[in-house]
Amino acid sequence: MSRVELAGIAKRFGGVVALAGVDLAIAPGETHALLGENGAGKSTLIRVLTGAIVPDDGEIRVDGGVRRFAHPKDARAAGIAAVYQEPMIYPHLSVLENIFAGNEITLRGGMIRKAAMAERVRPWFARLDLSDDLLDRPMGRLSLGYQQLVLIAKALTQEARVIIFDEPTSILSQSETDRLFAIIRRLREDGRAIVYITHRLDEIGKIADRVTVLTDGRVTGAARADELDETKLLALMAGKASRNYGKPRPDRKPATETPPAFEIKGLCRGNLYRDVDWSVPAGRVTGVYGLVGSGRSEVALAAFGALPPDRGEIRLNGARIAPRDPAEAIARGIGYLPEDRKSQGIFATKPLEANLTASALFRFVHAASRLDFGGLRGEAARLIGRYRIKARDETIAIGTLSGGNQQKALFARWAGQSMKLLILDEPTRGIDIGTKDEIHDFIRELAASGLPVVVISSDLPEVLAVSDRVIVMRRGRVVTVAEGDAMHAEAILAAAVGTHARAA
Amino acid sequence: MSERVATVIKPVLASRRRLPAGREVLLLATLAVLVGLISLGSHGAFWSRVNLDNLFVGSAITVIPAIGMTVVILTGGIDVSTGSVLGLTAAIGGTCFAAGWSLAATVPIFLASGAVLGLINALLIINGRIPPVIATLGTLSIYRMLVFIVLGSNWITAIPPALTTIFVVDHLLFLPVVAVIALVFLIGAALFLRHFRWGRHVYALGNNEEAARLAGIRPERIKLAAYVMLGLLTGFAALLTLGQSPMVQTSTGSGFVLQVIAAVVLGGTALSGGRGTMLGTLLGTLVVQVVDDGIVLLRIQPFWGGVALGAVILAAIGLSAHHEIRGA
Repeated sequence: MSRVELAGIAKRFGGVVALAGVDLAIAPGETHALLGENGAGKSTLIRVLTGAIVPDDGEIRVDGGVRRFAHPKDARAAGIAAVYQEPMIYPHLSVLENIFAGNEITLRGGMIRKAAMAERVRPWFARLDLSDDLLDRPMGRLSLGYQQLVLIAKALTQEARVIIFDEPTSILSQSETDRLFAIIRRLREDGRAIVYITHRLDEIGKIADRVTVLTDGRVTGAARADELDETKLLALMAGKASRNYGKPRPDRKPATETPPAFEIKGLCRGNLYRDVDWSVPAGRVTGVYGLVGSGRSEVALAAFGALPPDRGEIRLNGARIAPRDPAEAIARGIGYLPEDRKSQGIFATKPLEANLTASALFRFVHAASRLDFGGLRGEAARLIGRYRIKARDETIAIGTLSGGNQQKALFARWAGQSMKLLILDEPTRGIDIGTKDEIHDFIRELAASGLPVVVISSDLPEVLAVSDRVIVMRRGRVVTVAEGDAMHAEAILAAAVGTHARAA
Repeated sequence: MSERVATVIKPVLASRRRLPAGREVLLLATLAVLVGLISLGSHGAFWSRVNLDNLFVGSAITVIPAIGMTVVILTGGIDVSTGSVLGLTAAIGGTCFAAGWSLAATVPIFLASGAVLGLINALLIINGRIPPVIATLGTLSIYRMLVFIVLGSNWITAIPPALTTIFVVDHLLFLPVVAVIALVFLIGAALFLRHFRWGRHVYALGNNEEAARLAGIRPERIKLAAYVMLGLLTGFAALLTLGQSPMVQTSTGSGFVLQVIAAVVLGGTALSGGRGTMLGTLLGTLVVQVVDDGIVLLRIQPFWGGVALGAVILAAIGLSAHHEIRGA
């Protein structure tokens, strides 16, 4: 019997469907790998499992009985614990205090019983081959790998029978990864159920017993791990991408040798990226695909002057540039739509008009550089109409609009100006399908008008849909450039995740 | 989730839009009630020429640095060293007066020393990357110690009487000259914030610094200008303070920053930055000053003045926190 079973779990956030009826059975003594692209619904699913959010629909059964997780403590009581990608810790508290934070063993009156807590942890530390000396160390002094192990120990002290690992190896070294895998196998042999989330295909063969693929909030593939080889896995993961978007867009430009309008040569910065070359022709959309941590955004930020490179060359229309800050890059004609709308894009409480014109104010001034309010309002109205932004009028605070309309507004901020290069970083992250398609059309129109456009994305169907050519990055390096017929989902995915398989 | 929040917040914002100056109306009403109570309690002494002039001079001296403080807080920063800047500038300028310098020759000294002290704050915050509260807490203490060093154990009383005559005694349009100057500055600052690119950049910076930087705004330049301007205005206020009471002592200006920040925050400027107006700052200043004045007129013991000021600050911060929760 399954330890935990999900049936028809659905969750919407406003207009965005995060989970559209997911069924999942997690069995004891098994490692169940959950695969999917960013935005496929993996995180939402974990949050449902750990009680952080309540699904709109569907059933959670634990050991056969229907349960309702209204609060994280309900999930904890049912024996479900999660170890997240970035360990959530109290760096200044000791390891022991971290393990029992909010859950201390105390005497009546609140006195902490340190010895009793240490007693409780010790067997689990032994099981994880951790030394008891660690207990008194400040958590922040431990390496990320050890912090993760401490959090596993914490899950075990809470009698967790289902442990969810969310991309645990993305921050670990090779030896730390090997140690973690050994521990996961041990936990599985103890009869615990393991949910393992990853997008590294090479890990599947090493650790998983069962694989479920999630796409757009649905289960789109499930298999026993031993029935799969790399080719099948790639096909499973890329499934949607090749089905819906496999055919090139009617207006996709054929592969030709055009001189680049924007060019990057041998760009390096610390361990973020090395020897990166980008060649971006005018009148085309150049997609940059790579997983999180591949260095793609950092390269873009270098071109935009926000994160200067250590060395290398950046050329715009033949002239070498080295912008020291975004203001200088903008003055040279580079526009950059940032990855994170909330923290890097919008001025939430400011009117839509101020948000639309934030980078174009210099164009709307009277004599003596007084602002031309009529001109600003007119420009805002034009952009709202042109890019079909749904808002009562231009005076409304942008923070009150839907995510899709906020994103359109940020897109319009750049698209509405005559720039020499546009770099769009995750231009449609977290917005509904309809708006996504609209923005894709706008991007194609921009390129058709002769502009060089770069679209950075970790959404493979998106890259395939909008790009004329694709640069694939992995671990800070460019691994492939695909154009024309070479642009198919399996090949790009294989390059990005670093397998050698080349599915036909 | 953000969508759900948006639908909840929409009506709140919409209702606030119908009363665009809700905060200002509230402040005006508070002011009216306070004035009413005080004029009743003081049997009309509130409306005497002497009292009104006093009130206006006091308000002007507070509101001039408060203009700069508003801009600093709008950018998301704060400066708690203003009282020490005022004290040190007064000590430096006063020393010039004591050495026999003329008023005309010394005015630039006040302005320049204020600006330099503001510049030091700005450099600590921008280049030293020290959080504004910490940086200016440090200079608050350092500048104050410098006042002791400059003054030694002396008081400076050799202030040219012309200073008092020109700024405090003389009237223009029925107001003491300082008050007229303060109004001109306020209107200028309000227009500047609203009608020039720089003003929009100030609000954008306070709203979301990273987004502002990526939109092509240079945060460092705006912060530099804001702190230097606050220093300059504080230097001017130091000059005016000596016109109001012609004496420099080691305690000159201590406690002053509390009044300034109280006025700004009471006026509706969010301590988190990005929201606030000059009109609000003017009204906030008047409320603070009227409370002070009322304490004197109603012959309440002076320490109650401190209690009242503290209460006003708490009320303002409480209101602003409430405001931010609704508007976030």
